[in-house]
Order: sequence, then C-alpha cells, then structure tokens
Amino acid sequence: MSTVPDAGVAAVGALEAESRSTTSESPLALALRRLRKNKTALVGAAIAAILVVVAIFADVLAPQSPIASDQRHTFETPSRAYPLGTDQLGRDMLSRIVHGSRISLAVGVASVLLALFVGVPFGLIAGFYGGRIDTVIMRVMDLILAFPIYLLAIILMVIFTPTAGLIGTIKVVGAIAIVRIPIYARLVRGSVLSIKEKEYIEACRALGVRDPSILFHHVLPNSLAPIIVTTTLGIATSIIVEATLSFLGLGTQPPTPSWGWDLKANVAFIHQNPWLSLFPGLAIFVTVLGFNLFGDGLRDALDPRMK
Amino acid sequence: MRTYVLRRLIEIVPTILMITFVVFVMMRSIPGDPVVALLGDAYTEEDAVKVRTEYGLDKPILVQYVIWLGKLVQGDWGTSILSGRPVLKDVMVRFPVTLELIVLSMAVALAIAIPAAIIGALRQNTWADYSATSIAMIGVSIPEFFAGVLLLLIFSVAMHGTLPSSGWIYLPGTCPMLVCIGSVWGNAMHVLMPAIALGIGRAALLTRLLRASMLEVIRTEYVTTARAKGLAERPVVLKHALKNALIPTVTVMGLQVGFLIGGAIVVETLFAMPGLGTFGIDAIIARDYQQVQGFALITAFAFVMINLIVDLTYSVLDPRIRYA
Repeated sequence: MSTVPDAGVAAVGALEAESRSTTSESPLALALRRLRKNKTALVGAAIAAILVVVAIFADVLAPQSPIASDQRHTFETPSRAYPLGTDQLGRDMLSRIVHGSRISLAVGVASVLLALFVGVPFGLIAGFYGGRIDTVIMRVMDLILAFPIYLLAIILMVIFTPTAGLIGTIKVVGAIAIVRIPIYARLVRGSVLSIKEKEYIEACRALGVRDPSILFHHVLPNSLAPIIVTTTLGIATSIIVEATLSFLGLGTQPPTPSWGWDLKANVAFIHQNPWLSLFPGLAIFVTVLGFNLFGDGLRDALDPRMK
Repeated sequence: MRTYVLRRLIEIVPTILMITFVVFVMMRSIPGDPVVALLGDAYTEEDAVKVRTEYGLDKPILVQYVIWLGKLVQGDWGTSILSGRPVLKDVMVRFPVTLELIVLSMAVALAIAIPAAIIGALRQNTWADYSATSIAMIGVSIPEFFAGVLLLLIFSVAMHGTLPSSGWIYLPGTCPMLVCIGSVWGNAMHVLMPAIALGIGRAALLTRLLRASMLEVIRTEYVTTARAKGLAERPVVLKHALKNALIPTVTVMGLQVGFLIGGAIVVETLFAMPGLGTFGIDAIIARDYQQVQGFALITAFAFVMINLIVDLTYSVLDPRIRYA
C-alpha cells in the first residue's frame, strides 16, 4: 500500500509547482492584464472611482448646503448660480446630488459587504461539512430566497421604521443585506462542494491541516472569482434596491439627501421644472452603469470562459 | 407529465403557507398598531380593547394565523381593518390591472430582445452587435422608476400630454364600479408608458442572456448540420438555434419574477395605477394586516405559479426534457 504516501508526495509537489507558477504570473496578474485591455471595464472603474471621490469630498465639492432652503429661489432652472437648478424649497440640486452619492455608495457597498461576511462563512460551513448543518443552513437560505426580494426588503424596512442620518442608513443596509445573504451562501456552497473533492484538499487532509485552515487558505481562495464578480455586480443591484426603497419612501429619511427620495419628491413637480426629476435619476443611472460595466469586465477577466 | 404537474401543484402549498406565515409574523412585529390608526384622535383604551377583540387581535399570533387560514379555506380573505372592505374583493379588482401591466411589459421585453439578440449573435463583433450590446448594458442599468420618469418627460412634458401621466381607464369588463366606462383605447393610452418602463430593463437583460446563449448554440454541430443539409438561414436561426438558446433564458426570466413584483410596485406608484402593487405598498405602510396577508398570498401564489410555468416551458422548448 505504497500508493497513499506517493499520492501525498505528488500532491505536495503539485502544491509547490502551483506556488512556483505564482511568482512568474499569478492568476490575479493575468486577470488584471486582461482587465486593463478591456476599455468598457476601465470606463466603469473610472465612473466608480470618481463617485467614491465625490462621496468622500462631498463637503468640499458641493457649492452649497444640500439642506439649506432658500424661499427666494425655488424651482430655478439650471443657471450659472445653480448648475442643476433648485427644488421646491430652493435647495441647490447639484449640492443634493453630490451629497446623495454618499447614501447610494455607502448603502450599495456596505450592504453587499455585510451580506458577503455573513453569507460566505455560512456557505463554507454548509458545503464543507454537509449533513444536518448543511440542511439547516440551506433551509433558512431557501426560506429567504422563496420571497420576492422587494416584498421582503419593504416589510423589513417597515419593521425597522425608516429614519434619517446614520442610523437610518444602517437600517437600509441591514434590510438589503438580509435579502442578499442567501446569494453568497448558495454561491460559496456550490463551489465548496466541487472544490472539496479535489486532490489538493485531500492532500491537505493527509498532511494534517486543520479544517479552518483548509477552509480559509485552500477552499476560499479557489472560489474567490465568482464571489468578486457577484460582489461588484451586487453593488449595482443594491444601489437600485436602495433607490427603489427611497423612491417608495422607505429609505433613509429627509433631511438626509438621497437620490431616490429626491426623484420621488420632484416627480410631483415634473411640469413646473422637468430638470429636477431628470438629474437624480441620471445620477442613479450613471452609478449603476459604472458598477455594471466594471463587474462585467471583471467577470470576463477572471473567467474568460464565462463570456 | 400530469403526475408531475400534480406533484408540483401540491408542493406549492407548503411554500405559500410558509411565505404567508412569515409575513403574518413579521407584520405583527412592526412597532405600532393599526387599531391606533383606526381610532385616531378618538382613541380610548376601552375602544381599543373592543376593536382588538372584534378583529381577534388579542389572541396569540399562531391562533390568529390558524383562524386566518381557516377562513381562507372557506374563501374568506378577511376584512380590512381600516377600510372595512373585504380583502378578496379589492384583490380581484386590482389583479387584472397588474396582470395586464406585467404581461404587456414581458411582451415589450420579448419584442425588443429577440430581434436584438439574434442580430447581435449573427453579426458578432460588428457595429450592429456593438450597438445592441451597448444599448442592452444601458438598459440593465436604468431602474424602472427612472425609465418611467424619462417616458413622462418625453410623452407628458415635452409632447404636452400625448400620453396621460397618471390614472387608469379599465378594460371593458374589468370595471369595479357600477358606473364606469371601460375603453380599449383609453386603457392602451394609460398602460403604454408603465409597460414600457417595466419592460425596458427586462428587455436589456434578456438581450444579453439570449445573445450569449445564441452565440453558443450557433456553433454547435446540429446547427452546422442544419445549414449543411441546405436549410435556409431563417429556419436555422428561428427553429434550431433560437429555440434551444431560449432554455437558459427562460430560467433567468423565472428568477426575475421577484424583481418584476418590485418593479410593478414602483411603476404603479409612479403612474398612480390602481393595481396590486400600490395596494400592497399602501397596506404594508398602513399596517393593514388583512390586506397585507391578501397581498402576500396573491404574490406568493403568482411567484410559485410562474416558477412552475417556467419549468413546464422547458419541455416545450426541448422535447428531450420530460417530466415523469
């Protein structure tokens, strides 16, 4: 029965060969090279980067306060003083759009990350251990997935009662994260199921590597590509869900500036000042487009077969 | 086939029970109480107790749910606490509006996506393909409400009310009131913008998916065979390629139902349509328990039924797929 140590040695050899190839050109470097060649992905990345800068430096970039009203200048059309006009309270639309980027980006990114940090471990555990623990975790995930996502997000927001400011934002993040957790759990579980049968995992076991180390050092890195793609595209979806909740009046409450809320509030005055409902919608659209383009490019770069 | 459908129909029951039960519990864990809203300024503790007993709200949640279920089996969907109207009647009046919206939006989506995807796939990497894929990318990034606002800006503002910006005219025969004139033309004018607003995003998503699977299918051997035996390009594309390319697309469309329900809520709110979407969101915000249950029930039912239809569509598209 000399095959077992032989297999072990071969597997270790394979592991070493893999680490050697990492120094010449890792899959990551390869993917980055492919990504750099993809022009539309770079446009998407640029849009996302600009938005992050706008959100961080909103206080400096916004020409005026986003919440200070000015009764003398209501419903102004775009002009030099007000590049995007003013709303029914005389608030500067440009400043509101600049500040609104904070909510959209913060909720988009934070909700996806929260879902990721909860969903991925669940998926890892369910897929790796199988059995009863798998059944319990996946039943709960299926329960969430059985809901039409907006129905769940809306009811969650009503339970959380929407408020303004940071707390209000955290509530929206929580509601969106809950509906997105199963997506990660399912995705990771699926790839764990296929990875755990691979020889290199068997080799790790044979070498006496502990379960958590196998999970985080060997299984997780190998299922990273779909996680990254789902996350980038997920940010786009979450931004739409946030805007939709705000549009329905269930997002972050005023006075905190939010694109979805502004769009809803200004549609009522679409005949008085059509510009007002155009700009917040345009802002949402450009942001979502940026993340979609970048996510698409990432998918092509990380897995050329998925094209 | 018949046993399969029967088994799937039976499986629907636990799913619907689960969804309605979770919604039941969730609604009752919302802070606040519809009784307070109902009584308004005239609120006294005695009246509140009386109303709660009248609607059975003083009983444990599980008991309340069983009572609701028991009445449901007898065809009684309960009575709204706030409006006093039977829930089933409201749902039935509003259902055709949303059904029409969703069916037409899917028609819009298919009408755009199928030609766009075929052109994109057959002329891969030409300007026609690039414009189809870029427009599709833009389409998937437009939320329904912004698509709706753009349509409003074009047809109601710039073109001075060519299409009505809100409200509804019922199709003849779906009228809820005794005195109301249904009109096909008026209905078409009112449903056009909402259906396009809801359809655009789906059209874009479909185009991307269908183009990708068309690209895969037209490189398969049976398509080459079809061409080799001298079939004209039209039947090759429509009968051999498109039909097979539709299978993965149908799956994803099924998964989109959850988003479609959200989209219907948004579009109905934007265009002030008297559909199920506005009914549901108003009920949830007002915490009208009975109405929310009715909304959850009909949504859950539509959700599982569409998933079943999606599964059955497979065997139509690919006769090799048979359900025993």
